[in-house]
Amino acid sequence: MTTATASRFLDPAVLARIDNLELLAKTVVDGFISGLHRSAYLGFSIDFAEHRAYMPGDDIRRIDWRVYGRTDRYYVKEFEADTNANFSVLLDVSASMDYVGGGAVTKLDYARYLAACLTYFSRRQRDRVGIVTFAQDIVDLVPPSAKHLDIVLHTLDRARAGAAGRLETALPKVAETLGRRSILVLISDCYEEPDAILHGVSLLRHRGHDVILFHVLDPAELEFPFDAPTHFEDLESGDRIPVVPEELRDEYRALVRQHVATLSQRLREQRIDYVQLDTGRPLDRALFEYLSLRQRMNRVP
Amino acid sequence: MPISFLTPLFLAGLIALAVPIVIHLTDRERRDVVRFPSLMFVRRIPHKTVRRQRIRHWLVFAMRAAAVALLAVAFARPLLEGAPGGAAMGGAARHVVILLDRSLSMGYGDRWARAVGAAREVIDGLGDDDRGMLVAFAEQAEALTPPDADAVVLRATLDGVRPSDGGTRFGPAVQMAGQILDASDRQGREVVLISDFQRTGWNADEVVRLSPGISLEPVDVGGGGGNRAVLGVEVDHELRDGVERVAVAGRVANLGDRAVGDVRVELVLDGQVAATQAVTLAARTTATVAFPAHPVTRTVRAMVRLAPDSLPADDAFHFLAGPQRTVPVLLVEHPSAGAAETVYLRRALEVGDDPPFRVDRVPAGRLAPEPLQGLPAVIVNDAPLGDAAGRALRAFVEGGGRVLLVFGRRTVATRPLRALVPAALGPAVDRLADRGGTMSQLDYDHPALELFRAPRTGDFTTARFFRYRRVTPDTLATVLARFDDGAPALLEWEIGAGRVLLLTTGLDTEWNDLALQPVFVPLVHRLVRYLRDDDDRTAVLTVGHVLDLAPVADSVAGAGGELVVETPAGAREVADPRGAGRLFAVRERGFYVVRPLGGGVRDGVTVPVNVDPRESDLAAVDADEVAGAAAAGAAGERRAVAGSLALSTEERERRQALWWYLVVGVLLLFLGESVIANRLSRGSSRPPLSQGERAR
Repeated sequence: MTTATASRFLDPAVLARIDNLELLAKTVVDGFISGLHRSAYLGFSIDFAEHRAYMPGDDIRRIDWRVYGRTDRYYVKEFEADTNANFSVLLDVSASMDYVGGGAVTKLDYARYLAACLTYFSRRQRDRVGIVTFAQDIVDLVPPSAKHLDIVLHTLDRARAGAAGRLETALPKVAETLGRRSILVLISDCYEEPDAILHGVSLLRHRGHDVILFHVLDPAELEFPFDAPTHFEDLESGDRIPVVPEELRDEYRALVRQHVATLSQRLREQRIDYVQLDTGRPLDRALFEYLSLRQRMNRVP
Repeated sequence: MPISFLTPLFLAGLIALAVPIVIHLTDRERRDVVRFPSLMFVRRIPHKTVRRQRIRHWLVFAMRAAAVALLAVAFARPLLEGAPGGAAMGGAARHVVILLDRSLSMGYGDRWARAVGAAREVIDGLGDDDRGMLVAFAEQAEALTPPDADAVVLRATLDGVRPSDGGTRFGPAVQMAGQILDASDRQGREVVLISDFQRTGWNADEVVRLSPGISLEPVDVGGGGGNRAVLGVEVDHELRDGVERVAVAGRVANLGDRAVGDVRVELVLDGQVAATQAVTLAARTTATVAFPAHPVTRTVRAMVRLAPDSLPADDAFHFLAGPQRTVPVLLVEHPSAGAAETVYLRRALEVGDDPPFRVDRVPAGRLAPEPLQGLPAVIVNDAPLGDAAGRALRAFVEGGGRVLLVFGRRTVATRPLRALVPAALGPAVDRLADRGGTMSQLDYDHPALELFRAPRTGDFTTARFFRYRRVTPDTLATVLARFDDGAPALLEWEIGAGRVLLLTTGLDTEWNDLALQPVFVPLVHRLVRYLRDDDDRTAVLTVGHVLDLAPVADSVAGAGGELVVETPAGAREVADPRGAGRLFAVRERGFYVVRPLGGGVRDGVTVPVNVDPRESDLAAVDADEVAGAAAAGAAGERRAVAGSLALSTEERERRQALWWYLVVGVLLLFLGESVIANRLSRGSSRPPLSQGERAR
């Protein structure tokens, strides 16, 4: 499979035609991995790390027979990817996520695709996978488990945008449900003040979780391409205000850019990875960012 | 060209120009609502949400403003002072055609007086430069004056016009007026239609459209109460105590909306009241009034009449009453023929009573010219014609006689016979092998056969023809019926002033079984009546119909040249029945007398003429409907004619009708505005939708 063909499966417009999330995730991840054939990321999951003594219960296929020939002892190979880490997706399902403007899919759909792919990807690395969906409060909770891939995908499949969202109140509750150190992928449109977001995410970080925040925005939210004067209605609050788009477009864009920059800077200061995603673009950037995070996590003592 | 307004106050509507301005400045927001994930950033922008100071889409704004302005001007009813049709007509010459209805119904009450008064009023309104034309019409239109008559001529002509006995037809009159005015170069071309607008005269199929620029003004002089009329009579003959009597029954009608009682109905015979009946007539009904039978010894003028009402012209019905005339028929037979051979033919003729026939038989060998004199019909039934008989028949036919030739087994194609028959005579065709042929093709348009046109009035297909003579006619003969193999069965041709019918098969039962079929007796009667050809001579005609003088001349004693036609009013007209004067139009109700030039009344033929019964129904059609239909081609132009010659401001504005064009312009502007505004709307970004909205 060529890179071009592989990237085709990262296009949200193409993914929107695949109903089955597992098939979607498999298609994306397998295609993505194949496309990375000669990249620097190749083999991190199969790179040899060390030998350790065989213990009952280990897979005998992983016994290094050449070491046995030299030492008459059973050793098994350990690879860097075999981390057995907990992986959870924290998915914002607030009403503002149910929006499609210039993109091909809604922000929620885009987030679901991304979550499915990352979950599948993690499961390939034998991580325990789970998911938490939330708006103002927790909506669905699937604890991390090696057997929970199907449940996570099913939860993603039936996730629907609902009430108004608030990270500041939802994330502390999420933090209380997560026990063991985990890799947390937070997917949200972050329509809150940076301080409030930072407060919630920092709470997760302080509990030892590795957090990566995917800030999902529609192209229309970034560009504000509207022309005709009209009323705008807030999806979450229902408030309506008359707007002359051409008059405030520049200032709006500046505010959004400032918001993104602030989030990026403040989060990185807290050693929290931040990735701003555009629903009109393929998923590869998100996957690359995730892979970078995993690589960094594996190599940093 | 100066412009003025009929209702200038409506120009205040120009204030409405502010509406599109306000709309463009203040109400530029879309009706749609854009649902957006969060207005967090929008709220932070300290900016006016709606800009009010600048107009966008100047083209759309201009179209809207223009539409509003045009609408206000249209309501103000503008008119151009110097435009054609908008100028004062005081100095412009007019051409007015007055259509005056003089049909019978105009004699009802004071309709005629009012019609003449209305016509006089129109004439009085003509100026010195104006010209007019007076056209009187009933069923036909008649120009009573030249097209460019002045008021003096028109008044003088109007005084001499009287209502007629004719029916009503508007089409010819309007057509004549249109033709006259189409040729006129005058600025004002007008038609004034003065009538009672009787519904029977209105036929939408013959409506004539006036050319644009010609106005039509209807003047309705109708109205009034009901009407009674005698619609017709039935005359039966009965023989009692050896005396022939006529029993007359008259059909009378009450065409009004109220019942009338004790209506006197009289039977008048030869100028004397023979009987009187009283009848009660419900509203809009007809009744039959039967009179006792009266003995008659000669044909007399008769009439059934009512007590006069507001329309006396239709209160009497004229007819002739007299003894039935027995029609002599000369039957020429084979010398050896027995009585049994012609029994079917003779019996068929003897049972006839309308009219009764008297059959005289003569052997072919003894046929001479003398017995043929004055005979209406001769039947040569399967008889050989010798030279003398042939010459006698030839002379009889050439002098106007009628002969029916019947072929049979004894018929021989002698030279005298061939002199009578313009056809090649072949041998007898034997159809016994196929159980006889049928008579399949009949010309039902021919008077002798039209009786059998309708279903169940005679079935010729049941008769079987086992033998017939094959005849090949030349171009002079007309084939009236054929057998199923195409051979002629009945032919007709003219010789001189006479006529010959040829039946190629017999009238007994030897060659066919036609005599055994129900159609036989009526066929014989129709053939002989056709040969007699005097059905129309005593028929009752209707005013407006045409009297054919040619057959009348045949029956008038001594008629060798011109005839004199005396009308009921006493006027006499000389007509040539063989030339251009053969067809004579009857225009009066009463008794016409046709007599030879120089002869007396006793030598002539009396023809009763009655009015069209439809004229008695005074129900009217809406005058505006008639005028509107006729003036439809003139864009519905109508105007008042009588009165001042100068057109009022309202009239000039109505003629120009500029407001109508302005309204059309407004509609076009709004249409264009819609198209452009729609495109502009599409050009702007479509507001994003949520997933839920997309699903909906």
